[in-house]
Parts: sequence; C-alpha cells; structure tokens
Amino acid sequence: MAEGTGRGESLSIWFFVGGLTLLYGIILLPYGAYEWFSGHESSSVLSNLHPTFWWGLLLTLFGGFYTIRFRPGKG
Amino acid sequence: MTALAILLTTQLTHLAPIDILILVLYFVVVLFIGFYVKGSTRTSEEFFLAGREMTAWIAGLSFVSANLGSLELMGWAGAAYQYGMLATHWYWIGAIPAMLFLGIVMMPFYYISKTHSVPGYLQLRFGEGARGVSAVSFAFMTILMSGVNMYSMALVMKVVLGWNISFSIWIGAVTVAIYVMLGGLRSAIINEVLQFVLIWAGAALIPILGLWEAGGWTKLKAQIAVNVGSNDYTHLWTTLGSFKDNPMGVHWTGIVFGLGFVISFGYWTTDFLVVQRILSANNLRAAKMAPVIGAAFKMAVPFIVIIPGLLALAVLRDPHTHQIIRLVGENQVDAAHPYSYNEVLPLMLIRYCGPGLLGLGITALIAGFMSGMAGNVSAFSTVWTYDLYGAFFNKKASDKHYVSMGRWSTVVGMIASIGTAYLVMHAASIMDYVQALFSFFIAPLFGTVILGMLWKRATRSGGFWGLLAGTVSSIAMWLYTTYGGQQALAHIALSLDAKPMAENLYRAFWSWLICVVVTVSVSLVTRPVPEAQLAGLVYGATTIPDDGARSLWQKPIFWAAIVITIFFLLNIIFF
Repeated sequence: MAEGTGRGESLSIWFFVGGLTLLYGIILLPYGAYEWFSGHESSSVLSNLHPTFWWGLLLTLFGGFYTIRFRPGKG
Repeated sequence: MTALAILLTTQLTHLAPIDILILVLYFVVVLFIGFYVKGSTRTSEEFFLAGREMTAWIAGLSFVSANLGSLELMGWAGAAYQYGMLATHWYWIGAIPAMLFLGIVMMPFYYISKTHSVPGYLQLRFGEGARGVSAVSFAFMTILMSGVNMYSMALVMKVVLGWNISFSIWIGAVTVAIYVMLGGLRSAIINEVLQFVLIWAGAALIPILGLWEAGGWTKLKAQIAVNVGSNDYTHLWTTLGSFKDNPMGVHWTGIVFGLGFVISFGYWTTDFLVVQRILSANNLRAAKMAPVIGAAFKMAVPFIVIIPGLLALAVLRDPHTHQIIRLVGENQVDAAHPYSYNEVLPLMLIRYCGPGLLGLGITALIAGFMSGMAGNVSAFSTVWTYDLYGAFFNKKASDKHYVSMGRWSTVVGMIASIGTAYLVMHAASIMDYVQALFSFFIAPLFGTVILGMLWKRATRSGGFWGLLAGTVSSIAMWLYTTYGGQQALAHIALSLDAKPMAENLYRAFWSWLICVVVTVSVSLVTRPVPEAQLAGLVYGATTIPDDGARSLWQKPIFWAAIVITIFFLLNIIFF
C-alpha cells in the first residue's frame, strides 16, 4: 500500500511532496542563476544575496531526494 | 470575468510568468490528488475517516496543517505586529500541552470508542441531546471559520496583486470543494501534508532574510524598542504582571487559565476539525504519536509567522519616503495608513521576494488558506452527515447514501462559507473575530468532554445542560461586553485596563467554569449511568489496550517528554 494515498494506489504522499518541490526547484534554480549571472536581479531587499538561486537549489535537493526515495514501484 | 477586469490599479506588485507557472502547478497538483484518490473513496469510512489507514507522520502533519489556515498565517503575523511576542503564547502554552494531553491521555478514548466524530463521542457518553448541541454549534463555527480563510486569501490577492476580492474567494472555494468532494478526508489529508511542506518552502525565506537584514535577534529587539518606544514587544512573560503593562492588555492568569487551560485544551482536544485527522490513524500507537509529532512542528511555526510580524515593526519602510510604515486596524485604514495588521505577511513577502520566490510565497499563503478551508469543510460534512442528518433526519440510510450526502454537504458547506467570507470583511480584526468564536463554542465543549472522559459520575442530563449553559452564557457575556461599555469589560475581564483579547480569554474561562459547575450540579442530582455502559468511554471504567510500543523509541510518552522539555526551555529563553 502506498503511504497515505489509499488501498491499491501506487503513488505515495511523499512522492507528491517530493515531486512538487522538485518541480519548483527546477523552475527556480535556473531562473535564480539567470538573475545572478546576467545582472537582472529583482529590486527586492537583499536580492544581492541571490535568494532565488539558493532557495531553488535547496528545493531541488529536497524534492529530488523525496522523489527518488518514494518513486512509484519502489517497495 | 477577464483577467484585465479583475486587476485593480492599487496593487503592490505583479506576478511574473514564472510566478504564474508556480501557482498554476500547485492548483493542478491539488486537483489531481482529488481525482486520483476518488477511486478509493467509496465507503463512508473511506470518505469521512480516510479508511483509518494513515501513519502517525501523515496524521500528525495533517493535524497541524488543518490548523494552519488564515488564523495562523495572516492573523497571528498581524497579531505579532499589534501585540508583539505575546502572540507566541497561542503557539506554545496555547497549543503544546494540550496537543500532548490529547495524544497521551484522551486519544485512547476517542480511538477505541470507534467514534466518527467528537459529537459522536458525546452521543456515546451523554446521549443525543449533547450530541445535538455540540454538532449544531460546531457546524456553525466551521462555516464561519471557513469564511475567515476565504476572506484572508482574498485579502492577500487584493493587497499583493490587486485582484478582486470576490474572484479570489470563488476560485479558492471551488478548488477546495472539488478535491474534498471527490476524495473526502483522504484527499484533504494528502493535500494538507503537501500544503504544510509548501507553507514552509514559501514562507521560511521571510524570517531568514528579515533577520539577516535586521542584523540578528538581539539587534531586531533593539530596533523594535527604538521604533515603538518600548521593550514590551519582545518578551513572553515579563510584561504580564499587570493588565496595563503590555500591549495586549492581559494578565498572566488570563494567558495561563483562559488560553493555556481552557481555549487551548478545548480547541486541540475537542475541535473535530483537528481531532478528525488523528482518528484517521491506522492504529492506537499512531493515533497517540500523531499529536506528539504535530506538537513538535507546531512549536516551530512562530518562526514563519511571529518573526515576520516582529520584523515589520523594525524594518518595514516605505520604499519612497524610507519612513517606517505604521499598520492599523482593518477599520482604521485610510489614505495616510493604507495597510492593516492583517496585511503584514504579504507586505513582508513583497519586501524580500522577487519573481519566482514571490510566486512560491503566494502559493504558500494560498496553500495555508486552502488547508484551513478544507479542514473546516471536511469536518463540517462529517458532522452534518453523521451527527445531524444521520442522527436526526435519516437514521437508516445506506452507506452509499451517506457518502453521497457527504459529497453534497461539502458543496453546500462551501457555499455557506462564501457567505460568511463577506461577513468577515466587517470585523475589525480577524483574530478578535476568531477568538470570540472559540470562547462561544470550544470552551464549554471542553468542560463537557473532559468531565465525560475523567468522571464516571457525570450523567447524561449533566452533560447536556452543562454544555448548553456554557455556550449560552458565553454568548451572553459577549453581548454584555459588546454593548455594556468599559465597566462590563472590567466585570468579565477583571480590570478596567483589560483589552478585547483579554476579555476573550476570561470569557472562555468563565463559560468553561459555568459548564463544569452546571454539569457537576445536575449530575449529582440525577441518576448515575451504570458503569457497564461506560466501558471504552471513561477513565476507571475502561481497560486501555496496549499500543504495541516495545522500545523506548516507540513510546509516545517518551517523545512527549522531549517535546514538553523543549517547550519549557523556549519559554525560559524568551521569558
């Protein structure tokens, strides 16, 4: 039984968690890199710290771990 | 309605295409989950209690997330700005002891009685009358609370993006109605776990960057003291010796007894919105562990809610004039003060988040509101179907009919909630509104449930009249203080210096006390319930089954001890 999605279903709730955060990471990471390296930073406070890049990286790692760990068919 | 028509000229910012992509992805996944679990949601047990097959982690995270609606996000961030760190009491003393008590002491009774709802437990313990009173008051409260969540979401859209309030209310409501109607509690729980992670992913950057900008906690405290001219905003307990020494106008007795004992225990142990999540656990040990896990996460939530409110006192400046922006009550908003307390979180979000992160932050806020809405509407549909429709209108319908009723009541509940969302627009502060509701319905209910669980002598008549007296007296006290002026406030809240929040706490305490006194008095003069009928419902008449924990690591009490130790340490650190 997949954890939390009911009898007979193959997708775990943790797969949904990992999948969505990984998608967000994949969107934010390259966008943050583009902002950083092309000098198109937003006018928000502390944008010089490149939060979009670093947060995108964190979400990619977190989401990637959960997506792989709870991928369909694994156990 | 075209996109152009819903955009107003007063918006603070625009969503970039990347923000819209993030937002759309969220709605797609949420709706997909609803359709995905529909196939495994055919029986009433599956629709209303998620088949009772959730693990402790899922039940625990869902337990916290269902509570993490507008009250926790917008409301308490605004309250932190208004009252300072005192708002943290609603997360720590106002939650942690009660959550642990639910897991360790009360959960076995809810779980082994196999009840479908808290009013269902009251029916087993006190009969149909107590169930009727609690089901009606709970249904009423959930609809109102759901409206709070909708209005909060619409407010974010208005402040940040200039979206039309009605458009925002309807889009959130329709989405939640679809996924709860399709997948019932199972769908709601899965989405709530997802929403919990997203709330952190989207909101945690505000305190991280804010503390960076302020130069750390010590410098933040110093800056707040300069900006507001007082040290009172950054302490938990030192200002509570007198009503007039703190911005909330409250005394420590109100915090400890009104909040820490009555409102907190009432909400976390008897509000079916949260208890329903724990009832979905797959065994007794998971049911006991879920609130303990929930408590651990609950202790961390002030980081993303209270800290942003405090940061706004120190660093929120007008980008053009560089003057500190002063936020005001919802009913005091004017040209000179265009933003209310409730808008502090979106303002801070805009301050630190550019394209992409802004979309993530907005998604986090929407996720919070939708988890709050889903929590209310799924609990409403359960209580309506089991405890009102099934108990008083149609007792012998088929299981399939009840599932169908659950689906339809989800839609009806959501439509009623939309109506209440418009009602909330007239409240001066979301928090005042919500606290008033709690004192009406939650405080007396806790008196009835706790006596029912711990006192064998409590009778059915005692439970019914105690609950009714507590609820009616709470509403009467509210009317008295609303129309009776300062003197009335002093009578209820014990001081002329007391402010509305303090009044809520004391009113909750008095209504609980009235409920307990009436329950005890009526019980003592009415015929006791035979002990054989109390098995599985009351301490002393029930053999608690073994929860299967063998090692120390598996014991819920061990983890509860760790959580309560951290709770005390935090209170000492921020004393």
